[in-house]
Amino acid sequence: MSVPSQGEEAGASGTEFSLDSAEELSGDPAERPGLGPWRLTGRRLRRDKVALVAGAVFVLVVAACLAAPLWADHVANTTPEENHLSDQVTIDGEKTDVVDLRGKPIGPTWNGEFFLGADSNGRDIMVRLLYGGRNSLVIGIAGALGTILIGLVLGLLAGYYRGRTDSVLRWVLDVIWAFPVILLGVALGTALALGGLSIGPITIEGDSLAIPTLIIAVIYIPYLARPVRGQALALREREFVEAARAQGMGSLRIVFTEILPNVSSTLVVFLPLLVANAILLEASLSFLGAGVQPPNPSWGTMIAEGVDRIVTAPHLTIVPGAMLVLAVLSLNVFGEGVRDALDPRAKVRIEH
Amino acid sequence: MTIGQASQPDFLDPALSYTIHGWEPMWTVYTPLVTYKREDGKAGSEQMPGLAEDLPEVSDDGLTYKLTLRQGLEYSDGTPVKASDFEHTIKRVLNMESPGAPYYEVIEGADKYLADGNADADISGIETNDKTGEITITLAEAEAAFSFALAMNFAGIVPGDTPFENMTKDPPPGVGPYMFTKSEPNREFVLARNPKFTADTIPGVPVAVLDEVKTEIIPSVPKQTQDVIDNELDFMQEPVAPDFIGEILDRFGPEGTEEQRYKEFTTLSTYYFFLNTRVPPFDDPKVREAVNLGVDKTALARLFGGTLEPGCSFLPPEMPGYSEELDGEGCPWGDPSQPPDLERAQQLLKEAGAEGAEVTVWGDNVDPTPKVTQAYADQLNQIGLDATPKIIDGGVYFQTIGNQSTEAQTGFLNWFGDFPHPANFFFLVNGETIQPTNNQNISNVDDPKINKELKELGKEPDLPAVTDRWEALNEYLVEQAYIVPYGYRKLSTFMSERMNFEDCTPINPIIYNDYSQWCFKDE
Repeated sequence: MSVPSQGEEAGASGTEFSLDSAEELSGDPAERPGLGPWRLTGRRLRRDKVALVAGAVFVLVVAACLAAPLWADHVANTTPEENHLSDQVTIDGEKTDVVDLRGKPIGPTWNGEFFLGADSNGRDIMVRLLYGGRNSLVIGIAGALGTILIGLVLGLLAGYYRGRTDSVLRWVLDVIWAFPVILLGVALGTALALGGLSIGPITIEGDSLAIPTLIIAVIYIPYLARPVRGQALALREREFVEAARAQGMGSLRIVFTEILPNVSSTLVVFLPLLVANAILLEASLSFLGAGVQPPNPSWGTMIAEGVDRIVTAPHLTIVPGAMLVLAVLSLNVFGEGVRDALDPRAKVRIEH
Repeated sequence: MTIGQASQPDFLDPALSYTIHGWEPMWTVYTPLVTYKREDGKAGSEQMPGLAEDLPEVSDDGLTYKLTLRQGLEYSDGTPVKASDFEHTIKRVLNMESPGAPYYEVIEGADKYLADGNADADISGIETNDKTGEITITLAEAEAAFSFALAMNFAGIVPGDTPFENMTKDPPPGVGPYMFTKSEPNREFVLARNPKFTADTIPGVPVAVLDEVKTEIIPSVPKQTQDVIDNELDFMQEPVAPDFIGEILDRFGPEGTEEQRYKEFTTLSTYYFFLNTRVPPFDDPKVREAVNLGVDKTALARLFGGTLEPGCSFLPPEMPGYSEELDGEGCPWGDPSQPPDLERAQQLLKEAGAEGAEVTVWGDNVDPTPKVTQAYADQLNQIGLDATPKIIDGGVYFQTIGNQSTEAQTGFLNWFGDFPHPANFFFLVNGETIQPTNNQNISNVDDPKINKELKELGKEPDLPAVTDRWEALNEYLVEQAYIVPYGYRKLSTFMSERMNFEDCTPINPIIYNDYSQWCFKDE
């Protein structure tokens, strides 16, 4: 990694690692100048207990969701799609309908089967919650990684090459930016859910999880590409780039070996926030029927399916809602901790 | 009194409306030449003269219908009713591309009228005499259900100068107990007692009891339900929100703890799944039989909060040709009120070699369809198919599955009958009506026996004489497993405390709630 010496960086804008931020803490012997920037960040983060707890909570949520098949097979003995409309379970020695004749589903039993109750179709909420979490997290993380990959390349190219490349890319990004996030998501989601997507030899079915992932990745591109472009614009005028050019390096090589490492801290700060936003967007789209398609569970679809029974069966909405809050909140708090550790002056926000 | 309704009726124009939201109020404003007895229960499905003096006089070949308009009729604005207004009424239905147009295309000259595109042209099959009030209708071919078409809301007579355009904002005057006095789309519409309408105007159609009935558009069904519980709303158009059914039954049901103000009634409707006979695996009768055996009808009924009566017959109860046996031991696929015989279904599917066949199950996104579609897909998986539900927007649903290129394999369908004649259901499985787009016979049922019977029965105007043949046809259709009927929908009437629920809420099997007969407790 070619990280420029800290002196060279002073005064640069954005989330770059700079001398100023190191100096602020120079009283601490653990953070004496000369320590690598990533190690320094790690030390600072270790001191931020709130962020660490939040991070741990998120890891727990992820671990629980990964264990979904274990719970389904060994504890609940069902699958997320299996309906139990006319089945009965035994609670305190009494046989009870999973879904009664008037369609009211059973509440939490706190036993292995129907631990958190059933939904209107007689499906086990706990099993769906875990499997739904898997879908929500996979879409959120894959979507955010997709955004970073595409946004980064577009932002770097636009910022480095300027001129016509920049104009065209900016124009495309502005078009995406101009749409409200939810509106664009719903429009793309409903259109693609019906017909699926086929680009050349690749065909994606309408009910595939790849569709919401792709939509989320595309929608957030401008939110990342814009700040990256700004940084690339500033960095390309710096001495170390000039030096690289003088050594005879090609443009693409400069972009990816000289400029890219200098925006990497931005990416690290962005990643948790992007994932949190992507999970939220996935839930919103699924709630509106434009995200994850049934019978696949996700926290958003679970809330949507439970909302018309909010009085008699509030667990249908409260349980997935609480999980959503837990995951997104923990990730946001952790993300802020990472940002503070990396550069306390940085102002990274994803605004809608 | 005030009514809540979740959405603006499709139209408040008798020529165009084709929903219960539009028809319920309009039955009290527009009366056709022939109408239904204003009675509760089965008696209400019998026809009686409306604006005509008598029921139509049908010629022996079933081609000519003769009626005479009652003397001295006036619209709510005072204009006298003329026999020629009937022709104008039918012209509006045909010319404005109404969903009701197919019912009147059988009239001689209707094709030519439509093809010419001139709204004011004459329909050769309708002869009227304004002086004597005589109306003679000639059909291009005999049509068994035509007298029922004459009694539909589409044929509710409007003045001869009513424009050929959607009149929802200013509904035309009619002859009926009520008249529209205000219509603000998406906000409210108001019915007031028609001063020109007396007990003698149409014997059998009573004068409106309440002075005024105001309908407000309240999009949230839970809010409507809560408002009726709290007596802030007197009646709600939609079925009560599923979330509240338990509470309402316990408190206001027939055996509730409080005074009754809630009841349920079965409608002329059938809920069924189509099985596309042109697409594998459902081109194999064994697979279709397996599905019929494997569907758990009582389980599906729970998804409707108990407002679905599990059944096995295509023709619903109250429909001539329905037989009660089919809904019990007589059902070839097992008693619909019992759990299904899964083992037999699995066995049959194995024999057909269709185990693990991929099936897409279609459904729209209007509650409770997504739940039903998912439950049905799961039941198909239980018998050994590999089913995936596909939920699409309600606005494009019928267009999508009705397009042959979609090759929709199976999915959700329902039909609410317009009138008590089995032809009104059987056109859905008539092989002659299969179309490449906008197809209504989604199963693509093309059975020579059914087609032949429908051709013959379709010409027979004397329904009681051939009811047993309809009954046999219904049984045959169920046995062939072309479709999977699973129940008949119940609707509900739920009113506020101040309404006289016991004496003034007859449920006509065609009209459903008759607004004109409602009354308050103290009046």
